[in-house]
Amino acid sequence: MLEITDLSKRYGSVVALDGATFTVRPGRLVGFLGPNGAGKTTTMRCVFGLARADRGTIAWQGRPIDRAHRLRFGYMPEQRGLYPRMKVGDQLSYFAQQHGMPAKAARAATARWLDGLGLGDRAGARLEALSHGNQQRVQLGAALVHDPELLVLDEPFSGLDPLGIDTMTGILRERAAAGVGVVFSSHQLDLVEDVCEDVVIINRGRIVAAGAIDDLRAASARRHLEVEVVGNGNAWLAGRPDLAVVEQRADFARLVVPADLDLGAALAAASAAGSVRRFAFQPPTLSEIFMEVVRS
Amino acid sequence: MSRRRAIWLVARRELLERGRSRAFLLSLVLSVAIIVARVFLPSLVGGGANAQHLGIVGTPAPGLVESIESTAKIVGIGLTIGRVADQPAGEARLRDGSLDAVLLVPPDGSTPTYVVKSRGNQLLQQVVAASFTTPPQIAFRELEAADPNRDISFVFANIGVILLFISFFTFGSWVLTGVVEEKQSRVVEVVLSTIEPRDLLIGKVLGIGVLGLVQLVVMVTVGLGAGVATNRFSLPSTTASAVAMLLLWFVLGYAFYSTALGVLGALASRMEEASNASSPVSFIAMGGYFFSLIVALNDPAGTAARIATFIPPVSPMVVPLRAALGAIEPWEIVASALLMVAAIWVLFVVGGRVYSGAVLQTGARMKLRDAWRASGKS
Repeated sequence: MLEITDLSKRYGSVVALDGATFTVRPGRLVGFLGPNGAGKTTTMRCVFGLARADRGTIAWQGRPIDRAHRLRFGYMPEQRGLYPRMKVGDQLSYFAQQHGMPAKAARAATARWLDGLGLGDRAGARLEALSHGNQQRVQLGAALVHDPELLVLDEPFSGLDPLGIDTMTGILRERAAAGVGVVFSSHQLDLVEDVCEDVVIINRGRIVAAGAIDDLRAASARRHLEVEVVGNGNAWLAGRPDLAVVEQRADFARLVVPADLDLGAALAAASAAGSVRRFAFQPPTLSEIFMEVVRS
Repeated sequence: MSRRRAIWLVARRELLERGRSRAFLLSLVLSVAIIVARVFLPSLVGGGANAQHLGIVGTPAPGLVESIESTAKIVGIGLTIGRVADQPAGEARLRDGSLDAVLLVPPDGSTPTYVVKSRGNQLLQQVVAASFTTPPQIAFRELEAADPNRDISFVFANIGVILLFISFFTFGSWVLTGVVEEKQSRVVEVVLSTIEPRDLLIGKVLGIGVLGLVQLVVMVTVGLGAGVATNRFSLPSTTASAVAMLLLWFVLGYAFYSTALGVLGALASRMEEASNASSPVSFIAMGGYFFSLIVALNDPAGTAARIATFIPPVSPMVVPLRAALGAIEPWEIVASALLMVAAIWVLFVVGGRVYSGAVLQTGARMKLRDAWRASGKS
């Protein structure tokens, strides 16, 4: 388990991290969310010793992390980068060895991962000869080739086409199922909601929400209510100022309501106005929770 | 995984990737061409050797002068023959270089003597000797007993400095561009997630240094081999020690220059800035090179050369040069080498910190001071 506690860092007068605290459990897929400049990349770089925190600790399996721990992690930095002129196979094998694998095992792992990433026939090609999408795959390969116990990926989905997203999703799920802790940052909230069990939301260097997505949604003080009343339009809403209208057209209305709304009374009011064709009460989406916690 | 293995992996990567590259092959071919040209150039541009001045003291047998002149013409020597009053005058003119050889014809008809300053033109000597058809023919004398190693030592010293300079520059700049490439391609972020910045720099310097050593050995072997094979020179007894000095000072000088260039490379963020960032070091290396070839080569035991022996960035070129000319004391070599090792160590401690502070920074070119501070607290 990765435990980040009270992580703080300033760059001059800019506060990058301000007491960030969260954990990544083995076998869990954690989406690390936050607006640009919130501190996601700085946090990840601190995990790999690429930036040194002013305060706070990062622990792995209960011990402050050191170089030996980091060799068991896999990292995909935000700014992608590999050796452009080095052959793809040599490159992955090199990184595997730098993570402590013996040469033979490194070559075997390289062959396995290149096959898994659909690049089995490109092992002898220089990286720069590959398409952008394939270079991205090699980058992921560099993070995975040594079978890490923790994967830290900075915006792994950015720049991927739908097929690439599907491949990436499949690999991340498969790794998590194998017991690897996976944490990745992303701005694609729908995707995160689809892929992850847990999220950590950071804003201005502080963690503003963390936990299982379902729990966060359930814990929200607000709900969505979609109602369609045939014939009456939305006239029945006139007497209900507690129901905030987000969207309405003809007979349909989308509302934001308190979580403890008396549903029976609301349904009764709608039924009294006309024939209710739809009445859907749902917790907010991850996007909405994100907006909520980041704006507050 | 040990630090040593991490360093070894970096060094091996550099060695394999660059050793197989076209750039290394090209550098090897080019440097061999320079050495071969250097070995043969004196004979190609040696036009001066064909214009010879012979002075005659005394009265030669009738027809002798004509015989020498016609033979010289046949073998292609542009020979001028003049009369010289007496032996002292002739020797004086040999010393000042206005005559290449003097033929002393004694009035008593005894054996004439052919005198040169030292190691004169062999062809002229044969031409003159051939004109004396009856024994005892002619005697030979040199004013100054030539040190058989002197000329060749001079060539060795000269070529040695050139070899070292080529090697420092070629492989030092590979370290420079290697550092900038890693920074520019951002791969450094991935690499440094597993190894320490200092170890990356050490590995890079080591790996490229091995290539430099390989190229130097090839250049020396080709140079010596070409010279011996074509009878340009025979190897003096000091060859082994001269080569050993060359290799030792390559290692010391390369370690210094490549580390300095690697550190400065980390301050640049794009290749275009690299040459700018490296200019202070290039400037010092050029200074050392020209000092060695212009000042130290002409007066290897002089005050300037002795002082330069103890200035680390310059000593890697001055010391092997002075040693090749036999103009250095053993203690000077030892002291200079120790000073050099100390300088490399200091450079590495200071430079390593600057490198660590700068190599992960992106954006504009960094100032030395900022990089130093960044490493302290980042």
